[in-house]
Amino acid sequence: MIELRDLALAALDGRLLLKDLALAVPRGGRQLITGSSGSGKSRLLKVIAGTEQPLRGRVAVGGRLLWPGDGALTLTGRVEVGLAFARGGLLSNLSLRENIALPLRFRGLSAAEVAARVGAALDRLGLLSVAGLRPHALSASARRHGNLARVLALAPELILLDDPLEGLDSADRATALQVIRDWELDPGKTLVIAQEEPGPFAGAPWCCFAMPSLPVLLEVP
Amino acid sequence: MNFLARLGAPVRGFLEFLGDQVHLVLRTLRFALLLRLGQLPIVGAQIRLQIRFTGLQALALVSGTALLLGAVTLIQAFSQLSGLGAEQYIGVLMVLIILRELGPLLTAVLVIGRSSTAIAAELGAMQLNGEVDALAAHGVNPYQYLLLPRWVGVLVSVFALVVFFDAAALAGGFLVAKLKYGVTFGFFMDSVRQTLSNRDFVATLLKVVLFSGAITFHACHFGLGIRRSQTEIPQAVTRTVVTALVAIFLLDGLIAALFYF
Repeated sequence: MIELRDLALAALDGRLLLKDLALAVPRGGRQLITGSSGSGKSRLLKVIAGTEQPLRGRVAVGGRLLWPGDGALTLTGRVEVGLAFARGGLLSNLSLRENIALPLRFRGLSAAEVAARVGAALDRLGLLSVAGLRPHALSASARRHGNLARVLALAPELILLDDPLEGLDSADRATALQVIRDWELDPGKTLVIAQEEPGPFAGAPWCCFAMPSLPVLLEVP
Repeated sequence: MNFLARLGAPVRGFLEFLGDQVHLVLRTLRFALLLRLGQLPIVGAQIRLQIRFTGLQALALVSGTALLLGAVTLIQAFSQLSGLGAEQYIGVLMVLIILRELGPLLTAVLVIGRSSTAIAAELGAMQLNGEVDALAAHGVNPYQYLLLPRWVGVLVSVFALVVFFDAAALAGGFLVAKLKYGVTFGFFMDSVRQTLSNRDFVATLLKVVLFSGAITFHACHFGLGIRRSQTEIPQAVTRTVVTALVAIFLLDGLIAALFYF
């Protein structure tokens, strides 16, 4: 499903985060990316999602070449991707319900199906009572769950989760973990999770890739 | 060599900027053609929002400015013309100054001040908040959802505002001509009509299309170029205003040379 070759990543300040990375995640694979804060885990997820360009290297998802290329636009209508952001990611001028519905409506689903999927995802993550609020009026954990609810409603084949359990209280954490466990049981879903420690995802079926811990300074010729 | 590199850097930067603008326009056009029927209501709603902000909410400001401008222009000019016994040239004056030049130009300046700044700041904030990434990752093409509605919204708004600007400026001019010099509506409009030509309509339409493109894509370029922190937003807004102003003055000069030189 995911194929990375000779990949090099740089941080915004020019630090080289990663070089010569070769990684393949098969369809239905479970990949964990661990590393300290600032090591580039989120950046790597965004590169796989096609929203950020790597310094160099090739990235293919579902047999489609993202980089070098058009990134996420290459996947539109071909490979369905869900990306749950650690921070942000929800459109500020839309309510939570509208945020979750937008990709489904853009995909051309009927209004009834959009309403059913959005309602089910909101219900599953306990967000029905705040569905009409905009992101700025939501708590941090509700925003995080909102990101997860959008992925749940989309039911994509490739799921990318950035620190999905970070900063959640025990009840919210249990809810999020249950959603992820259900995805884990589905052989049709490819899962990639980025977080500092393996935590509840240690061991089989998860494969772990640890980001280099000491980023080196980038020397641009 | 160092000197040559320093000399060439701004030129290279300008060419890169031009290339990026062309790239944005062509991609937006391409993805506009790829819009599916079911996506039209979503994009249409965004266009309506842009028209409401750029067109409707600016209507009073543009009309008021135009009314005053038309009145002041006529006050200043009519005393000179009447002294020379050339009252019949008030139409020529109004067409030359207001309809041909100041109408589209001042409308564009007002839209840059109100809307291109807002577009650049909004897109910059969206970029920093990961909203643009979220759209792209989940199959909502940002060219279709963000750029196209803003372009179409600004285009429709600028067209409508230029019409209102011209009408209000003529009304202001006529009011002064009527109250101070007793000019009749028929005489005033005949004078304007005799000077207006089809060429003026074509030139104005061309200005509307090019100005709205420059206003939108300058804002999108600088807004979407924000990557690191919120301190970049005011810088992007300033750059948008300065470069968009330069662009519309250059385009205005080019069109004037093309049509009237």
